[in-house]
Amino acid sequence: MTKLMLLGQFKVDKVKDTVSIYGTEINSRLLVGSALYPSPQIMQEAIKASAAEVVTLSISRQNPLQNGGQNFWNIIQSLGVNLLPNTAGCHSVKDAVNMAKMSREIFQTDWVKLELVGDDYNLQPDPIDLVKATEILLNDGFKVLPYCTDDLVIARHLVELGCEVLMPWGSPIGTGKGLLNPYALQAIRDRFPDITLIVDSGIGLPSHAVQAMEMGVDAILLNTAIAHSNQPQQMAEAFKKSIEAGRTAYLAGPMTEQKSAQPSTPTIDSPFWHNHG
Amino acid sequence: MLADKPKVAVLGAGLLGRMLTVSLMDDFQVSLFDKDDGDAKQSAGYLAAAMLAPLGESADSSLEIMRLGQKALTMWPDFLAKLDTPVYFQQAGSLVIAFEQDMAALNQFQSRLKGDDYHSVNSSEIQKLEPELMQRFQAGLYLPNEAQLDNRQLLNAMAIQIRKFDVAWHSNSHIRVDDGVYVNDKPLTGFDWIIDCRGLGLQQDIDLSKTHFRGVRGEVVRVHAPDVTLNRPVRLMHPRYPIYIAPKENHHFVIGATQLESEDTRKPTVRSALELLSACFSVHSGFAEAEILSMDSGLRPAYLDNHPKIHQNDNRIIVNGLFRHGYLLAPVLVEECVKLVKKATKNDVVESRSDLLPGLVTSMNPYQSSSVNLS
Repeated sequence: MTKLMLLGQFKVDKVKDTVSIYGTEINSRLLVGSALYPSPQIMQEAIKASAAEVVTLSISRQNPLQNGGQNFWNIIQSLGVNLLPNTAGCHSVKDAVNMAKMSREIFQTDWVKLELVGDDYNLQPDPIDLVKATEILLNDGFKVLPYCTDDLVIARHLVELGCEVLMPWGSPIGTGKGLLNPYALQAIRDRFPDITLIVDSGIGLPSHAVQAMEMGVDAILLNTAIAHSNQPQQMAEAFKKSIEAGRTAYLAGPMTEQKSAQPSTPTIDSPFWHNHG
Repeated sequence: MLADKPKVAVLGAGLLGRMLTVSLMDDFQVSLFDKDDGDAKQSAGYLAAAMLAPLGESADSSLEIMRLGQKALTMWPDFLAKLDTPVYFQQAGSLVIAFEQDMAALNQFQSRLKGDDYHSVNSSEIQKLEPELMQRFQAGLYLPNEAQLDNRQLLNAMAIQIRKFDVAWHSNSHIRVDDGVYVNDKPLTGFDWIIDCRGLGLQQDIDLSKTHFRGVRGEVVRVHAPDVTLNRPVRLMHPRYPIYIAPKENHHFVIGATQLESEDTRKPTVRSALELLSACFSVHSGFAEAEILSMDSGLRPAYLDNHPKIHQNDNRIIVNGLFRHGYLLAPVLVEECVKLVKKATKNDVVESRSDLLPGLVTSMNPYQSSSVNLS
């Protein structure tokens, strides 16, 4: 409610400020993961506090063929959120495509966060195989949310294939280093103004999220920053607020940075002793 | 004499079932029921590394669990002293180390510890503690009070103790609880108390809408490495989860454990085996020629908050949900159960013991059917 009232002051013509994922309108601009929490209960509390409406989950190590994670999936599903299955841990086009198909069957959703590991140590996405897998999955009716680097040309390939959402990294998964290359992200934003742009991975602090949102990024996906904080529920709330702040600031239109100080009050009629020469 | 003793049925002969039986058999006439044939091989406690590491575990669990673990740690020597068969118990601390590129994980681990009974160690101090470790470790943490025991020796020692006593041990018993308790489809009657500590075996009889209860997969490797001597458990930071190497007697080592939110009951996967084995080989090259004795997987029983719980409803008690902390917490939970059956009359309302852990003991009935008094 607070958010809508605030936005009302700045953008009178737009009642609802939602983000679109292939036509599905989402109110919350924070998407979260479901790994690394100390317990499922703390995960539930944190997800509630984040107000996230989309939760991503990885099934590759749960023996999905035999529904090994069913009991855990129930815990997430009981929150009434949209599930975004991911292909974390897949190293080849074939693996990722198979994992996406399996997820679609299990969760009855055509959304997939496509993740193709190119480097095992920092989990850097493989941009070439990502484009290949994206094409196969889009042709198969999937709504692909590709986890990519901040390379503009890869982004263009993905958009040309039909991606309506891009998920470039801020920095590698789990590093919490924030936006390593704001310039590259800004370039993607500026070149694809109609694409839903979600910064995925590398966000460690609410200030990183604010920075991204101020640039006009549509949403943030994060996991470790909340799950590995000492008080996940509290940190989830902090991220929720920071993302709202960043979004509101973007809509408000920030001032332009100046080279030197410019007094915010006129000085012409100030007494001379206020001037330091 | 025997007929005068109150009768207790213990369901499940894993770690908790055996400890309860040993603790109760002096004052009660105990009958022990289990689905396995008496060797505990289907029990989660059979696979565990039996680390007694309240501080180390506190990085990923609550302050209350750490305190329960610290209390339990002081209780182990007394419990082991009750057994005629010796059980390997060691309190020489634990060492936490990380490769250079995983230093952030070590810092993160340190910042999440909920106590301060540890100190940072540099490479020469690490060498002093563990002279055989590869010399590449520049920094680590030493937690001087952590302990461990040999779980298989303990399970066996308790079995010997129980068999010496007048305990009816019913192996290969199929147990089912709905409106009543059934053993091999025959109703169990005539007991003053029935204590259910079947671990994950509870899942078939629990009402999941009342209490969430799940299995969390773990994979463990056991090796015999005559070329390796470690003086204490070593925890190696890993970008995704810490791996520990726990030295037991005679150069036996337990390397574990993965933690996956899955009820997959297959044998360990190649990925997990690679992670565990490369972890031990990377800290000590002497593991190269070690014999792999076993690679096992099991499911840890856990409630939604990963905290253990004792449910008392009429004359029935359920102790469960010890998650990855079976050995860490068992003495405290056993003591609480013994208090219940010794002090409480069956109709007492049990209050939650907030001094130990909020919600540890409740009067809730998590079974699918309401219980009936069986005595």
